[in-house]
Amino acid sequence: MSHAARGAASEWPPPSGRRLAVASAGRADLAAVRAHVAAALADADPAVRDGLVLAVDELCANVVLHAYAAPGGPLTVDVAANDATDDTGAAAVCYRITVVDAGPPFDPTSVAEPDVSLPLDARPVGGLGLSLVRRTTDAFHWARVDGHNVVTLEKLDPRAPSSRSAIP
Amino acid sequence: MQISVVQQDHVTVVAVVGSLDALTADTLTAALQEQVQAGHTRLVAALEGLEYTSSAGLRVLLGTLKDARQRGGDLRLAGAQERVRRVLELSGFLSILKSYPDVPSAVASFPA
Repeated sequence: MSHAARGAASEWPPPSGRRLAVASAGRADLAAVRAHVAAALADADPAVRDGLVLAVDELCANVVLHAYAAPGGPLTVDVAANDATDDTGAAAVCYRITVVDAGPPFDPTSVAEPDVSLPLDARPVGGLGLSLVRRTTDAFHWARVDGHNVVTLEKLDPRAPSSRSAIP
Repeated sequence: MQISVVQQDHVTVVAVVGSLDALTADTLTAALQEQVQAGHTRLVAALEGLEYTSSAGLRVLLGTLKDARQRGGDLRLAGAQERVRRVLELSGFLSILKSYPDVPSAVASFPA
């Protein structure tokens, strides 16, 4: 965990795969954030794509609702694809998404996991967003770099290379 | 996102079309609260046209479910698409909310 977090920090500013930069982000920008991630992951497995779109929406919603009061602040979302191997050693793609905001220091990876097995009455209304981020990604890191929160998500897509390649 | 409300027999069907996120969830909260306040606590959320939900949408459903059950009613789901079902499943909601394949079966699940 700490190794990957240092890796994210050393790559500041984040590598721009497909970048969306919003100067003054608010709730109305969330649809554009989702569209950006979906377009950048057009080749990905649909379940991987849907999961990452959701994860990024949850992170950005937290930023615009809690870190930025009106009139908002800067937000960037970078989507990059790197060659990787899956558990069996087969070629795969690892998607890496970096979300950067200039709000107060906040480590979303430190938020406790809600108990989703609790009965209805015992369940808090809320607290689910970051749980969904964990459930739809393989890695979830935070670093504070030069006055910015840098959150990095990673997800392995085993199917991506075969779906893109021609007949061998 | 569009919301439409229809009374079917003794059940209130609230159809949600589009995307539920931190921007649009408040509109659905207001629509559902209005029904609960009016005593319409047997509710069906018709989700055939819902293409996406984040946790903001789940919060609305959970809050309304609690209110409706406290007043002797219930909130039941109908016709959720696979993508929305997956989010409900990941968050454990399918174990606390009753979900039906379509609106007629969800409406019929309430006793007359």
